[in-house]
Amino acid sequence: MTDTIDPGKLELPQGTLDLLILKALSLEAQHGWAISERIRQVSAAALQIPQGSLYPALHRLERRGWIKAKWGESDNNRRAKFYELTRTGRHQFEAETDAWRRLTVAVRLVLDMR
Amino acid sequence: MNAGDFLADLLSDIRFRFRAVFRRAEVERELDDELRFHLEREAAKNERSGLDTIEASRRARVQFGGVDRVKEEARDARGVRVLEMILRDLRYAIRGLRSRPGFSLAVIATLALGIGANVAMFGVVDRLMFRPLAYLRDPGSVNRVNLEYTYRSERVEMGGLEYLRYRDIARESRTLAQSAVFHNEKLAIGIGEEARVMNVSIVSASYFDFFDAHPVMGRFFDAAEDSMPAGTPVVVLGNALWKTRFGGRHDVLGQLLQIGSLNATIIGVAPEGFVGGDAGQPAVAFIPVTAYAHLGFPDYDKSYGWQWLFMLVRRKPGVTVAAAATDVTHAFTRSWEQERALDPRRETAAVGHPRAAVSPLQLFRDQDGGRDASIVLWICGVASVVLLIACANVANLQLGRAFSRRREIAVRLALGVTRPRLIAQLLTESLLLALVAGVAGVLVGEGGQAVLRSLFLPKAASVGVVDDPRTILFATLLALVAGIVTGVAPALQSGRGDITTSLKSGVREGGVQRSRTRSVLLLAQGALSVFLLIGAGLFVRSLHNVVSIRLGYDVDPLLYVETNLRGMKLTDSAQYQLKRTLADEVRTITGVQAASQVVTVPLYSMMSQSFSVPGIDSADRLGHFSLQMGERDYFRTTGTRILRGRGFESSDRRGSPRVAVIDEAMAKRLWPHENALGKCIKFGSDTMPCTTVVGIAEDTQANDVIGDPSMQYYLSVEQHHAETSVFVRTQGNAESHAETVRKRLQALMPGASYVTVTPMRQIVDPTMRSWRMGATMFLLFGLLALVLAAIGLYSVISYNVAQRTHELGLRIALGARARDVLRMVLGEGLRFGLAGIAIGVVIALGAGHWVQPLLYQESAHDPLVFIAVAAILALVAVMASAIPATRAVRLDPSIALRTE
Repeated sequence: MTDTIDPGKLELPQGTLDLLILKALSLEAQHGWAISERIRQVSAAALQIPQGSLYPALHRLERRGWIKAKWGESDNNRRAKFYELTRTGRHQFEAETDAWRRLTVAVRLVLDMR
Repeated sequence: MNAGDFLADLLSDIRFRFRAVFRRAEVERELDDELRFHLEREAAKNERSGLDTIEASRRARVQFGGVDRVKEEARDARGVRVLEMILRDLRYAIRGLRSRPGFSLAVIATLALGIGANVAMFGVVDRLMFRPLAYLRDPGSVNRVNLEYTYRSERVEMGGLEYLRYRDIARESRTLAQSAVFHNEKLAIGIGEEARVMNVSIVSASYFDFFDAHPVMGRFFDAAEDSMPAGTPVVVLGNALWKTRFGGRHDVLGQLLQIGSLNATIIGVAPEGFVGGDAGQPAVAFIPVTAYAHLGFPDYDKSYGWQWLFMLVRRKPGVTVAAAATDVTHAFTRSWEQERALDPRRETAAVGHPRAAVSPLQLFRDQDGGRDASIVLWICGVASVVLLIACANVANLQLGRAFSRRREIAVRLALGVTRPRLIAQLLTESLLLALVAGVAGVLVGEGGQAVLRSLFLPKAASVGVVDDPRTILFATLLALVAGIVTGVAPALQSGRGDITTSLKSGVREGGVQRSRTRSVLLLAQGALSVFLLIGAGLFVRSLHNVVSIRLGYDVDPLLYVETNLRGMKLTDSAQYQLKRTLADEVRTITGVQAASQVVTVPLYSMMSQSFSVPGIDSADRLGHFSLQMGERDYFRTTGTRILRGRGFESSDRRGSPRVAVIDEAMAKRLWPHENALGKCIKFGSDTMPCTTVVGIAEDTQANDVIGDPSMQYYLSVEQHHAETSVFVRTQGNAESHAETVRKRLQALMPGASYVTVTPMRQIVDPTMRSWRMGATMFLLFGLLALVLAAIGLYSVISYNVAQRTHELGLRIALGARARDVLRMVLGEGLRFGLAGIAIGVVIALGAGHWVQPLLYQESAHDPLVFIAVAAILALVAVMASAIPATRAVRLDPSIALRTE
């Protein structure tokens, strides 16, 4: 596995994977592979996410009731498990996005300090 | 997050986990599908970028990471690992137990008996000693008040409070938030044929304020209806009476109901389970204390003379029991002064030193409980010993099972099951068994309580086990403890063994340590059963001694007839005439042998009168002498023997010379060195004419069963005025004649008055209750223990025989005779038995000191009992090992040697 780690890619800070998943789902319901593709594309492949770790995260979010899953047809007519945000999930997403923004602003302020 | 969201989250969480646990296979399949879908899509994408199929899917897998690890993490994410583990253990346990129904049943039955015994006892003890009254608000702040004072430098406990005293204390005290009084009395409810004597609670209006109870209909009475002097004749029906007697009808309010002498209007119906202040005697109705007292004792609001009330108080918040006692003592002292103002003969408070105790509500926790309470506690101890024996038995069975499973266990250990997991699995098994046994135990307890109820709470309303949360909780706790206790030793032992030795060894080897633990458990069982059986023997002998005491009168053929005029005013002569008519009528009933008017009933009521004897200084101070009066047939009726002289005769009439019969104890006390016959006693004052002693009767136990004989004298009813009842002697058992007698006599009663007919047995039995209780319960539990110990011994011996099949087969093959094999196996059983007997005897000898006070004329070290129990146990030991022994004798060596 280690052979795939590209030194130019970033390791994800703890806990941010959930936020990225919520973001990906905030636009539309998607299956797991599509979520991982989306994150890869949007981050211009800068974020290094082991694809496997996506699934435990999805199950954890589902247990918390932030997302819910249902089986449906994928674009190539295969059965796939689609996830979508619940109402609570949407609240959470907004709250966490907000928290994240404030955190990054604060961290940047500190780092830019002269 | 608002509450609604929180709840929705919680629900979704539960739903999710529920599905994860109970639809595990489905959830797993979905996970597989999901991951496969991902890998296929990834591979397809790689293929599109120009890789060949094999390389494309390899890349996809590498990108993905370890599929199994991801699955494992996804399972963790579901948050149900522990639950899953428990469920798996549970399924494993159920499978294991179902595969050995004999073992499971033995364990369940044994524990169920042990738990059942305790559940049944708990129900009784809890109600007598711990459980607060139903509906009582904040029971921790409620107490009862006991008063005492000093008279002639002796401590006098007041049996109850006077009504005025209650008012004084309520008024003078500063630390009480509430106070109330009540008194339970057997009163006839209804009139004529309908009339039944039932337990009625006579309460102050403030009584209801102690409870969070609301009438199911109507209302409770208030202070205006319970006011001095006469109150208002109203009644609140108990729920049970309303349902049984009035069929739960809604039109009872406003109806009249005769209760004792009170013709009361029904104003309300109490809720279910609201039965007044004494759990042992549930009340069926509630009437105002002032209304009742006014009819029974018209001066109750002007004088201190009738100590009959039980006082309940609620302490103000923050007031300790000690502070309340000081305060109530102060209030009592004030009240004492008030009483002295009315009755100057009363000694001063400085001399009388009035004082109050503020004690727990439950009667049994008080010193009043006395012998009954300590017997009940002993029986509780005995019940827990039975459970202990049951646990030892089960632990033994479990150990045996663990050994026969040790290869299975070794295999599992070798396959990588960790020891903590293994122990958890074994514990799950024993807990499961114990919980099933707990359920069975509750059913056993329900049955057992019917027996106990008749012994401890004879008059109590039905007390259920199954529908009582406290008892169920207790049973669950017991089951859990039993499950852990019986499971821990075998589980630890299994977890400890060395895998390789277990795997290599056959069933025959490695049993040394097993025998030691099992032997200790077996010995403990034997010893405890010996201990209980010795207790049983002692109590049975003691009961026998009590029952065979010659009371000085017969019990079984006697009926006691009492009249109740319900406030009807009859002149003395009319009363006398009525009693004569009744006595004459009763003599005409077939089956009645004799009857006599009497004034007191032994063990129930007593009377005395001052007298003087010429030549003896203050003779009536020489002891406590009690008075009985009778007619000509008195001695024939009661069966009291005349030792010298004569009984009453028809010539002893009004106007003829007055005669007395005295008992031997009295004769000896008054005239120790002379013949009492012909002596003169002057009743009333010394100016009265002589009453001549014409007969000496045998001694009687008139006041208590086991004390010194009472000094009793008998006067002729014809020669004195007195309010009488009637004693009836019937052929055979009096109980069977009671209803006939009641019907015949009731027909003669004027107006609303009525008769009650009580078999003498019902008066005598309660005084022997504690002995009977001790004997019955010790015997019951002792036998239970014996059966358990016998099962235990049997299972160990037959297990050992099974283990030694090979060895025994070898011996037989080498020429050992059947007799030798038999002796070997029986000898093993007997050795266990004898060791158990020895230890049990030592325990019993040590405990004798505490049991002694509960026995009557029976040494706690009675050798007869010890020897009998030892013999019984030895016999049981032989019998329990006889079956495995015969099995051993019949072994076919050729088969035995081939078994592993």
